[in-house]
Amino acid sequence: MHGVREPAVTRATLVGAGGLGGPLALALGAAGIELTIVDPDAVEASNLHRQIQFTPADLGKAKASALAGAVVARGGVARGYRTRWTADDADDLSGDSDLIVDGCDDPATKFAVADWAVAHGRPYVIAAALRFGGNAMVGAPGAACYRCLFEEPVDAATCQAAGVLGPVVGAIGGVAAALAIGLARGDRSHAGSIFVFDDLRSSSEPRIVRFGPRPGCPSCARAPIDPLAARTLVAEVR
Amino acid sequence: MPNVHVPGALRTLTGGAADVAVAAVTVRDAIAALDRLHPGIAARVLDGAGALRPFIRVFVAGDDAGLDTAVGERDEIAIVPAIAGGRDA
Repeated sequence: MHGVREPAVTRATLVGAGGLGGPLALALGAAGIELTIVDPDAVEASNLHRQIQFTPADLGKAKASALAGAVVARGGVARGYRTRWTADDADDLSGDSDLIVDGCDDPATKFAVADWAVAHGRPYVIAAALRFGGNAMVGAPGAACYRCLFEEPVDAATCQAAGVLGPVVGAIGGVAAALAIGLARGDRSHAGSIFVFDDLRSSSEPRIVRFGPRPGCPSCARAPIDPLAARTLVAEVR
Repeated sequence: MPNVHVPGALRTLTGGAADVAVAAVTVRDAIAALDRLHPGIAARVLDGAGALRPFIRVFVAGDDAGLDTAVGERDEIAIVPAIAGGRDA
């Protein structure tokens, strides 16, 4: 693609084709990354105000294939699967991916994605948005993982009840895409960090927290590279 | 006094305040003091046994912290919760 630096990673799985998945897919696709997009849902009218990759013509279509179509329409390469990404199907869906990015709204799936990435030595980004803010966590082999940071999923009902402001997902999705493209190009400098945006109405500056491996982390215990032995990470907040 | 940075998801309990100064010498003290000022917040951060909930992480001056971690007069105590997507706001 003219004018675009070729990424080191050529294939990625994107879990979630909604508010975060939209900007993620369009950015990664435009960067020349071949995408496998996975989402179980269909486009509903109530999605359109914040999932602006879709149009009324997409109503009723599978989000994954509609988003893949939007990527392809812009010159990218993508395929969509209407299914929930689970550990059981992960090897089939993501086995050929060099990178995995999560932008879904299900807490348990986020942990499953991170656990699979750690176990298979893949770099990954876990993105989330809630109310007026969100966060994006960067993981890579040898660094502290998502389960080192948070031990267990938060209650999904709590998240959904709280809601999210439409434009927030575009902003958080854009940040997550930038971090994912960084990983795709081999930049691991943010591995073991989470970018936290508390309230985008008042500040666009993230709090960047770098955290260390948690001794006894069950996910890291299955990793091909032991984060406790691989390197020492110093926690810091900027 | 140390300052507690309240995450966006919990600011409905602090009247929108992002930062709250509290008199405390440990993280546990700070959460208790925060709950006295803004009742209900401790229940969102701690479980029934008084331990940090597994989807909450606390940092003091940028370092990983637990409930017994000492806090200094100028320290910032950051509460970072795991979040997922929402629907409509």
